[in-house]
Amino acid sequence: MEALYDNLSHGFSVAVSFQNLGLCFIGVVVGTLVGILPGVGPIATIAMLLPLTFNFDPTGALIMLAGIYYGAQYGGSTTAILINIPGEATSVVTTLDGHQMARQGRAGVALGTAALVSFFAGTVSTLVVAALGVPLTKLALLFGPAEYFSLMVLGLAFAVVLAQGSLLKAAAMILLGVLLAAIGTDLETGEARMTFGLDELADGIDFVVLAMGVFGFAEILRNLENPESRDVVRAKIGRLLPNKADIKASIMPMLRGTGLGAVLGILPGNGAVLGPFASYTTEKKLAKDPSRFGKGAIEGVAGPEAANNAGAQTAFIPLLTLGIPPNAVMALMVGAMTIHGIIPGPQVMTKSPDLFWGMIASMWIGNAFLLVINLPMIGIWVKLLNVPYRLMFSAILLFCCIGIYSINNDTSDVALTAMFGLFGYVLIKLGFEPAPLLLGFVLGRLMEEKLRQALILSRGDFMTFVENPVSGVLLAISLGIVIFAVLPAVRKKKEEALSS
Amino acid sequence: MQNLLAGLLLIVIAAIAAWQASPLPMGTLRHIGPGMFPISLAGFIALIGVALMVTWARGERNSTGRWPLRGPLFILGSAVIFGLAVRPLGLAVAGPMLVIVAAFASHETRWVEIIAFAAGMTVFCLVLFKYLLSLPIPVAPWLIGY
Repeated sequence: MEALYDNLSHGFSVAVSFQNLGLCFIGVVVGTLVGILPGVGPIATIAMLLPLTFNFDPTGALIMLAGIYYGAQYGGSTTAILINIPGEATSVVTTLDGHQMARQGRAGVALGTAALVSFFAGTVSTLVVAALGVPLTKLALLFGPAEYFSLMVLGLAFAVVLAQGSLLKAAAMILLGVLLAAIGTDLETGEARMTFGLDELADGIDFVVLAMGVFGFAEILRNLENPESRDVVRAKIGRLLPNKADIKASIMPMLRGTGLGAVLGILPGNGAVLGPFASYTTEKKLAKDPSRFGKGAIEGVAGPEAANNAGAQTAFIPLLTLGIPPNAVMALMVGAMTIHGIIPGPQVMTKSPDLFWGMIASMWIGNAFLLVINLPMIGIWVKLLNVPYRLMFSAILLFCCIGIYSINNDTSDVALTAMFGLFGYVLIKLGFEPAPLLLGFVLGRLMEEKLRQALILSRGDFMTFVENPVSGVLLAISLGIVIFAVLPAVRKKKEEALSS
Repeated sequence: MQNLLAGLLLIVIAAIAAWQASPLPMGTLRHIGPGMFPISLAGFIALIGVALMVTWARGERNSTGRWPLRGPLFILGSAVIFGLAVRPLGLAVAGPMLVIVAAFASHETRWVEIIAFAAGMTVFCLVLFKYLLSLPIPVAPWLIGY
């Protein structure tokens, strides 16, 4: 307990420096600003704003990026409530009752409640991250290559199971991501692999190039094809602060949502996406009158929003302690960290405690900023919702191009990104979901390395993965969830849940 | 149709990967060479490709939708042009070029608006990236030398 206090106060001493507070603040503001633009999800937002952080020291840059991430998350909830467009999968649930509240003239209360419960959930889960950081890092340091490999398999198995649409296609995307990661110089022998003889590919594909191509560019192409239908709420925003009755109705859903979201968020492989769904289902089951749900029940905003934010925060745990990003957004954080010369993993906490604890402390500060700036600035956010897409897409494109060029000051990167944009567009057309591709790509190199190390240690015996107890259990769970997911009854349920 | 094409795409990708990885030594299980991992991945991907084609043969009839060329051509084209132009001509030229070429991708474009927007965005990006964040991106080397 005392160690936790010491670590956190060390973190706060790093995070409250003038520069870092400023960066956190700017991050939250621009994150919200971009995240609120309809059709721009958190992944695109972070990818687009990445170049803003290039010139700061790693701690400052990551604090800013984390701020951008929270801002983008909150922006996604705002669009869900006001125009019925969720920024990403985790705010889908918020559209159900949040948008209904907005139509009934209670948009302000919905937004206010979302901000307040998010702050509460953020505070709790910052503590969870801080408390679990040390033990999990110690655990991670005990992991040998076989355990590590199996842990990544588990993460990817979760990602397949939780992806939208076909399991086969999600699995293909993961494998394709891992394959793309294998391009470049071989880790051990230094041989060029699958580079088509191009020098540009000798160092492998840059993560940001892939992410901006497949998410940034391909998303623009998809949005341009679908004529816009924005259901902007014309009714008044109304008062922001929930009244007594609202608070009474929200408090238990908020607590339950925080718990569910925090626990699910820790799971490898995008468990965070389950939080809001689980919370909504729970609240509907527990409600005296379930028929109110879907018609503007405040519990349907408070619970899922708390779960959303708690999960968004605890998703940092596998990344910071194990170096395994659980979802595409965290994969992007890995990309950002690598640009700043930090390899995520258990060694970050011991080698750069300033960065580790400073970032955790800034999570809480970021959440506080969100609360303070969002409520007064709602008027401005509403105006942004009316920016037409015909102007937005070229601005996004320009930001992306400047960012890509600036990573290496390399013009061929821009062309490569355009190629991946085309590739991502084709993938979307053929019904592939690109998020697992990114996850596979980020984990690919580490997976191959651990696989090869484990096999050297076991003298080429694959049984090592099963005989090692930890690794065996992890693989058994992975197999179990995949089998579970292909059961016809479960499949149908999942489709219903994810399509609603 | 969707799964037939999806399966074909995966098989083509797997074939390209296998072709590229084929000269690399496979090694043994005891000591895996650089070729083994990519080749095995290519094998799994091809298998999924076949499985997807089987689902098509069993009656999958999802449409792949329309394939308009206008969006990809101008959006991706504008990015490539930006990449080619940014070093010799600088952001002051490449920026507006990108916005204007990209504008051809949308049929909602209003030309007066987009030209003003291109100018505004370029100034904004110059101030933000060059002067506030001091990224080493050329501004207009032909005019002011950097």
